[in-house]
Amino acid sequence: MKAIGWIKRLTAFDRKLLVVVAVLVALSFLLLLRQSSGARLVVSSDDRIVFVAPLNKDQRVELEGPLGITVLQIESGAARVVSSPCARKVCIRMGEARHTGDLLACVPNKLVITIEGDSTEEDAEYDFIRR
Amino acid sequence: MTSSAVDSQELEQVRRRVFLALFVALAVALHTVEVLLPNPLPWFRIGLANILALTALFSYGIQALWIVSISRILIGSLLLGSLFSPGFLLSLGGGIFANSLMSLGYKLWQNKIGPIGVSVLGALGHVTGQLLIAWLVVIRHPSIWMLLPFFLLFALISGIINGLAADYLLTSLYKHPAFAKLKVTTTASKEKNHLES
Repeated sequence: MKAIGWIKRLTAFDRKLLVVVAVLVALSFLLLLRQSSGARLVVSSDDRIVFVAPLNKDQRVELEGPLGITVLQIESGAARVVSSPCARKVCIRMGEARHTGDLLACVPNKLVITIEGDSTEEDAEYDFIRR
Repeated sequence: MTSSAVDSQELEQVRRRVFLALFVALAVALHTVEVLLPNPLPWFRIGLANILALTALFSYGIQALWIVSISRILIGSLLLGSLFSPGFLLSLGGGIFANSLMSLGYKLWQNKIGPIGVSVLGALGHVTGQLLIAWLVVIRHPSIWMLLPFFLLFALISGIINGLAADYLLTSLYKHPAFAKLKVTTTASKEKNHLES
């Protein structure tokens, strides 16, 4: 009985408020699960975009950074770094980037790979630059 | 106006000042202790110092809430050496957001909301404000918002814990004669108001 004693310290309004907040939290988790697959991959180096490719086309890309060449593999809608000249290989261990907003970064080689757009977009053409 | 009336008014003001100073001191202590505690996850903090801000709100009103929490953030950061660092900005942004939500909730539902309700609103405001500042100042990347659901869940739990602690503190404070003149606003009295209305 003592474990539920704290509920007595809630006013009736507090109880309603807690239910509303709990529902909001649950909804925010649902939104997180429903995130969409990305449409394209954007590679930037020193805040400049150096490479853009659609995610639905499988390919292997060689990206040049200050340390050398980082190899990026795009396969079945996901991108990952397969080889990199950096010391710690954090970028390889970051695994796959698939969803909008996902990010792969190789800090020593100054490469940031982000996933943008939405695969459900009619026109996945790259027609604007977002900061 | 008799001189004794003036005296008692003055006494109340002095009491208010003394208790607010005490609340700020306790909040700074809790703030510091919490930073020293080992933390399994970065950024997740219960925000124990908010117990004192809630106590100030429910005993002396909205202005007291702002005095206690902003002073606590400034003094706490000064003690920990993080004043004006990015972490301090996160703290301040979170604090301002939390206070705004708590003031709003307290004002809108003054006769119905209890410390736990206000505390949960504050905790939600705090994480939202922190993420907003983090997004604006530290990491300008939209994927930071993917942390929000986890933060909100944590805020709900920590808000309940803090609110509960504040309610216990208020209940025992009101037993003290120094608080006799104040309007009693603990959960028990709110329930009574609610049933009567």
